[in-house]
Amino acid sequence: MPGAEETQSRGRQSRPWWLGLALAIMGALWLNGARGISSTTNYIGLGPAAIVLAVGLGLTILGVLLILQALRGDFRAVDDEAEAPPSRSAFLLALAGVAVPLLTMRWLGFPLTAMLAFALVTHAFGSRRSALDLAIGFALGSTAWFGFSRLGISLGGFLPLIG
Amino acid sequence: MMDILNQLIGGFAVALQPMNLFWAFIGCALGTAVGVLPGIGPALTIALLLPVTAQVNPASAFIMFAGVLYGALYGGSTTSILLNTPGESGSVMTAIEGNRMARKGRGAAALATAAIGSFVAGTIGTLALTFLAPAIAELAFVFGPEDYFALMVLSFTSVAVVMGRSLVRGFAALFFGLALGTIGIDTQTGQTRMVFGMLELLDGVSFTVVLVALFAIGETLYVASRPASAPAAINPLSGGHWMTRQDWARSWKPWLRGSVIGFPIGALPAGGTEIPTFLSYALERRLSKHPEEFGHGAIEGVAGPEAANNAAAAGILVPLLTLGLPSTATAAVLLAAFQNYGLQPGPMLFATNPDLLWGLIASLYIGNLILLILNLPLVGIWVRLLLIPRHYIYGGIVVFALVGVWGLSTSWIDLALMCGLGLIGYVARVYDFPIAPVLIGLILGPQAEIQLRRALAVSQDDWSVLVGTPISASLLAIAALLLTLPPLLAWRRRRAGSAEVQPASAG
Repeated sequence: MPGAEETQSRGRQSRPWWLGLALAIMGALWLNGARGISSTTNYIGLGPAAIVLAVGLGLTILGVLLILQALRGDFRAVDDEAEAPPSRSAFLLALAGVAVPLLTMRWLGFPLTAMLAFALVTHAFGSRRSALDLAIGFALGSTAWFGFSRLGISLGGFLPLIG
Repeated sequence: MMDILNQLIGGFAVALQPMNLFWAFIGCALGTAVGVLPGIGPALTIALLLPVTAQVNPASAFIMFAGVLYGALYGGSTTSILLNTPGESGSVMTAIEGNRMARKGRGAAALATAAIGSFVAGTIGTLALTFLAPAIAELAFVFGPEDYFALMVLSFTSVAVVMGRSLVRGFAALFFGLALGTIGIDTQTGQTRMVFGMLELLDGVSFTVVLVALFAIGETLYVASRPASAPAAINPLSGGHWMTRQDWARSWKPWLRGSVIGFPIGALPAGGTEIPTFLSYALERRLSKHPEEFGHGAIEGVAGPEAANNAAAAGILVPLLTLGLPSTATAAVLLAAFQNYGLQPGPMLFATNPDLLWGLIASLYIGNLILLILNLPLVGIWVRLLLIPRHYIYGGIVVFALVGVWGLSTSWIDLALMCGLGLIGYVARVYDFPIAPVLIGLILGPQAEIQLRRALAVSQDDWSVLVGTPISASLLAIAALLLTLPPLLAWRRRRAGSAEVQPASAG
C-alpha cells in the first residue's frame, strides 16, 4: 500500500512540533539570561534586563503557539505537495560546503577555503567535474582575496600555513 | 518649494560628478545582474557590498546602492518575462502576463513596456519622494521618544502581520530578530547581555552575518536540496516586434495608475513592493477593454505591476530617509549601511548631510535613465547571464557570502554564526517563515528599546507617557488594530460562512 504509506509520511512531515519547541527553548534561554543581568541600575525607568525578559517571554509564548499549531496540523512545509522529495545527499554536500570554512579558514587561508567551499557546493548542485570546479573556486577565491586586499579589506593571510 | 528645487540642483551637482556617475553606473549594472540571476536579491547584494564601502565616501556608496535597488527591479522583470521565474518577489505578477506574451513571440514588446513603465513610475516616484520627504522630515522634528517608540511598534506589528502568511510565524520571525538584537553590550548601562561568555559577541551579532546567512546560505541549501526545480527554457527574444502604436496606447494609463498605487503603499511602514503589484494587476484586469486577453498575454498586466513595483521602491525610501524606519529587507540593509557610516537617517540628516541625501535623491533620477538605456537596447546581454550553469551561480554566491562574513573582522565566530543561521534560514524557507521581520527586529529592536527607556526616564517611570501624545496614541492604536482586525474578520467570515452552510445543508 504505497498510498497509505505516503500519506502517513506526509502526515508526519507536516507536524513540525520541534520548531515550536526550539523557539520555546530559545525563549527559556533568554528568560534565564535576563535573570543573570544584574539590574544594579540606579537609572529611572527600565533596566537592561527588561527587554531581554520581554523577548524571552514572547519567544516562549510563540513557541508554545507554534507547537499547538503544528500538532493540529495547521501548518506544514511549503513543498509538501511537490512531486520530488528533497535530496538529503545534496543538502548535506551543500551544508558541508558552508561548514568547511569553520575547519579550514584559519590555517588554509581564504583562497583555498573558497576553493573547497565552491567545489562542495557545485557538487551539491550536481556538477561532477571536480578538477575544473576546484580550479574555478581557487581562481575566484584568489581574485576576491587580491581584489579586496587592494580595497583595504583583510581576508586574513593568503596561505597562513606558510606565513 | 524653491528651497527644495535649490536643494535638488545641489544634489544633481553631487550626483553628476564623474566619480559618482561611475558608481551609479556600477550600481545599476550590478543591480540588473542580480535582478536577472536567481537566488541573489538587492538586499543581499548591498549587504555584501557593505565592507567595500569602508573605502568609499558615503554619497558615492549610497548612489551605488540606489542603483542596485532600482536595477534589481528592472532585471527582475526580464527574467519574469523571458523565463517565467521571477527574480524578485515584486515581479511575480509581471511573470503571469509577460511570460505569455514572450511565448507568443511578443517578448520584446513585453520587455519594452516593463522597462519604459519602470522608468516612468520610477521617475514619478522619485518626484514624489523629492517633494514629500523634506515635509515628512520636518514633521518628524516634533517626534518625541514615545512617538518614535510607537512608530517602531507599528512597524514591528505591520511587518509581522503583512509579511508572514500566518500571524504566529510572522511574530516568531520578529521575536527571533529582536532576540538577536539584545546580544552584546547594552548601550545605555554598559551591561553585557546574552553573550554566553563569548568575547566576540560583545559587539552584538553583525547584521551582515544574519542577512547573508538567512538569505544566501539558507537559499543555497534549499535550492540544492530540491533538485527537481529545474530551470525552465528561455523564450527566444529574436524576431519579436517592438511596441506597436496600440501597445503604447494600452500601456500609458497602466503606467500612471501603477505609479499612483505603488508609491503610497511603498511608503507605508510595511508596504513593500509585492502588494502594490497585486493591486495594480487586479485593477488593470478590471479596467481593461480586453479582459479576455488576461491570462493570455495582456500588455496592461505587464505595464501596471511593473510601474507599481518601481514606484513602491521609491516609496520605501520615504520612511527610511525621513524617520529611519526600514519597511523591507533591502531598506533594513540600507539602514545598516547608514549606521556603518555613523549616520542616523531621520530629520537631522536632512540638516546635517544635505549633500548626501540630495545627491542620493538626484542619483535616483539619473539611475532610472541609466537603467532604461541598460535594459532596453542591451537586454540581450543580461539574458546571457542566465546561461551560466546554476551550480556555478550558487557556488559563487557561497564564496561571496564568505567574503562578506570573513571580511567583516576575520572572526571564526562569525563563520559559525553564518553556518548556524544558514540552517535556520533553510528551515525558515521550508516552513514558510518570513525573513524580513527578523532583519527589521534585529536592526530596529535596539533602537526601539533606547526610545522606550528614554521616554520612561523622562516621564519618571510613568508608563502612561507611551500614549501621552496624540501621535503615539494613534500610532499604537493603529498597531493594535492591525493585530486584532485580521483574525477578527476571519472569525466573522467563518461564522458567516457556517451560518450560510447550515441552512443549505438543512434544506
